[in-house]
Amino acid sequence: MSAREDAVDAAVMPPDLLAGRELALEARGLSLDYSERRALDAVNLQVPRRRVTALIGPSGCGKSSLLRCFNRLNDEIAGCRVSGEVRVLGLDAYAETTALPELRRRVGMVFQKPNPFPQSVADNVAFGLRLAGLRSRLELDDRVEAALRAAGLWEEVRDRLDDSALRLSAGQQQRLVIARALAVEPEVLLMDEPASMLDPISTLRFEELVVALRERYSVLLVTHNMQQAARVADYTAFLQAGRLLEFDATDRIFTNPRLRGTEDYITGRMREDRG
Amino acid sequence: MAGLCLLALAAVLAVLVQQAVRAFAPVPVAELRWRSDAGEQQMLAAVVFEDAHELVVRGSEWQRRGAEYRRIARADLLQLDWPADARSLRLHDGREIHRRGLALPQAPDGSRPAAADVAEDVASNRLSRGETAGLMLRRAWDFVAGTAQGGGVFPALVGTVVLVLLMSVLVMPLGVLLALWLHEYAGSGRSARVLRAAMANLAGVPAVIYGLFGLVLFVNGVGGGVDALMHSATPRWGGGGLLWSALTLALLTLPVVVIATEEGLARVPAALRHGALALGATRAEMLWRVVLPVARPALLTAFILAVARAAGEVAPLMLVGAVRYAPALPLDGEFPYLHLSRQFMHLGQSVYDLALAGGDAPRDMAQAHAAALLLLVVVVGLNAAAIVVRNRLRERARELAV
Repeated sequence: MSAREDAVDAAVMPPDLLAGRELALEARGLSLDYSERRALDAVNLQVPRRRVTALIGPSGCGKSSLLRCFNRLNDEIAGCRVSGEVRVLGLDAYAETTALPELRRRVGMVFQKPNPFPQSVADNVAFGLRLAGLRSRLELDDRVEAALRAAGLWEEVRDRLDDSALRLSAGQQQRLVIARALAVEPEVLLMDEPASMLDPISTLRFEELVVALRERYSVLLVTHNMQQAARVADYTAFLQAGRLLEFDATDRIFTNPRLRGTEDYITGRMREDRG
Repeated sequence: MAGLCLLALAAVLAVLVQQAVRAFAPVPVAELRWRSDAGEQQMLAAVVFEDAHELVVRGSEWQRRGAEYRRIARADLLQLDWPADARSLRLHDGREIHRRGLALPQAPDGSRPAAADVAEDVASNRLSRGETAGLMLRRAWDFVAGTAQGGGVFPALVGTVVLVLLMSVLVMPLGVLLALWLHEYAGSGRSARVLRAAMANLAGVPAVIYGLFGLVLFVNGVGGGVDALMHSATPRWGGGGLLWSALTLALLTLPVVVIATEEGLARVPAALRHGALALGATRAEMLWRVVLPVARPALLTAFILAVARAAGEVAPLMLVGAVRYAPALPLDGEFPYLHLSRQFMHLGQSVYDLALAGGDAPRDMAQAHAAALLLLVVVVGLNAAAIVVRNRLRERARELAV
């Protein structure tokens, strides 16, 4: 068993790729089943700290399922079973002793569709802070401003903090939920195709933001957009049919993938994107 | 469909109004002479009904409220006059006495009503339209705002509103908690399935059975137990009362609240739930801070349905606290203001009593309709208030969704 996994690993990832790097997230032999079908099959993935790692692959290949293992949001889906090991910042995420709220505070998540709460802009950003027990009005205001600045939204909403978050544009909403995630100062950010609903300009702004976040956060980004992965990610993982097929530095994956399947997917998609 | 419902409501209202108006309309007074088996008779009486074949008349109520009604065939009539000086007195206890001229009339036993007892004195046969309208308004107001002794239903009105509000206060938290547990925690487990089946069946149990249940559990069980504990000589909690009635109604409306709330919870988008959880919210925090606020309109819908169901129920209340005559209001200026163990009057009970007591007294029957109309107005009023609040919330939600 372990011999086979090692063999798979060697084929998937150059052995010295992450040598000496601290890991933010790690999956070992991770399998995930929904009631009817298997979504992930013995995935081994390592996500380095303070880098952006892109997760690419065709629709339904299990990217989102994999992402949701790291903050255990899969627990919310009825009939979902996980086996194998998931380590978040060195700790076993699926251990009995893991406190989910604590885990999720350290692993923020941004969803495909912006999902601001039907509250004011400020209340949205302060949501996680209030959960953490922060009550001081002054400190809340400071942290809200800092998070909005970090998400590149402050200048646009500084006069609209008490307006409903749902009045913001889609691009602003997406940056708002990023600010909401950043406000609690997580160490890891999971992003599930966060730019898929955005117009080109908003997408550009979003990508600049991701590159900036890399200074302080470990980012795992699911994307369908090859150019986006190429632009923002340090590392890229290619997932197909529930298996991790290739993991490498982004420039290598996009210029010289080792597997035919990876190349087909990337080039096929790129042609599609251009057309 | 909606049109049909409105039509039905309008029809019910039309019938009630038409009947209720008779309770307040002035009745002309006639001088009658007619043949009967006992020979020729003569009286001054109010003509409450008249057609081509017969008259129904009501004489003066000298001794007590409730006079004899007589049915007189036109063929037997010897004389029918409408004297211009005929007057009707209404006393504070609701009695009506007819006479001619301004002097206070004398009863057959020689007594006279005191001037202070007279509530109303009208020239029945010479009322202008304006006077008639004013009289009817005043009588309607006396009916709505008057004490039980004077034939008013104010105590019943207060009892109904207090009861329904207390019921809501009891059923909403319980129902919402149950719905939360069912929808958010229980999943599809066995206990949840059992509870759901129980709810569906409870919704179909006849109301009077809830009354029996409340009598056994609350009045005799809990109330009796409390009395025994406090060694009270006279039953205080061990008799029917406001609290037991409200609890019984709360049980009755629980399924409605649970089902409506659950539907509302199901409509809260999973994206919002996941968003809250992903920020480190516990399940309870997610429900309290995100799900319940979003589901507020559904909670108000549950409240509306519960009020509509509860306000119309009479049968169970007769067993657990509603009475024909209660000496004191359940809500007054005396500490502790809301008297939970008191018996109370209820508009539904008033309708029932008036309709049955006045089996062939048209005036009581008309008052039963008036009480029914008032009950309907209370129900519609409470619902309308809740609907206004809900729509405002929805509007805000829609604004937020822009």
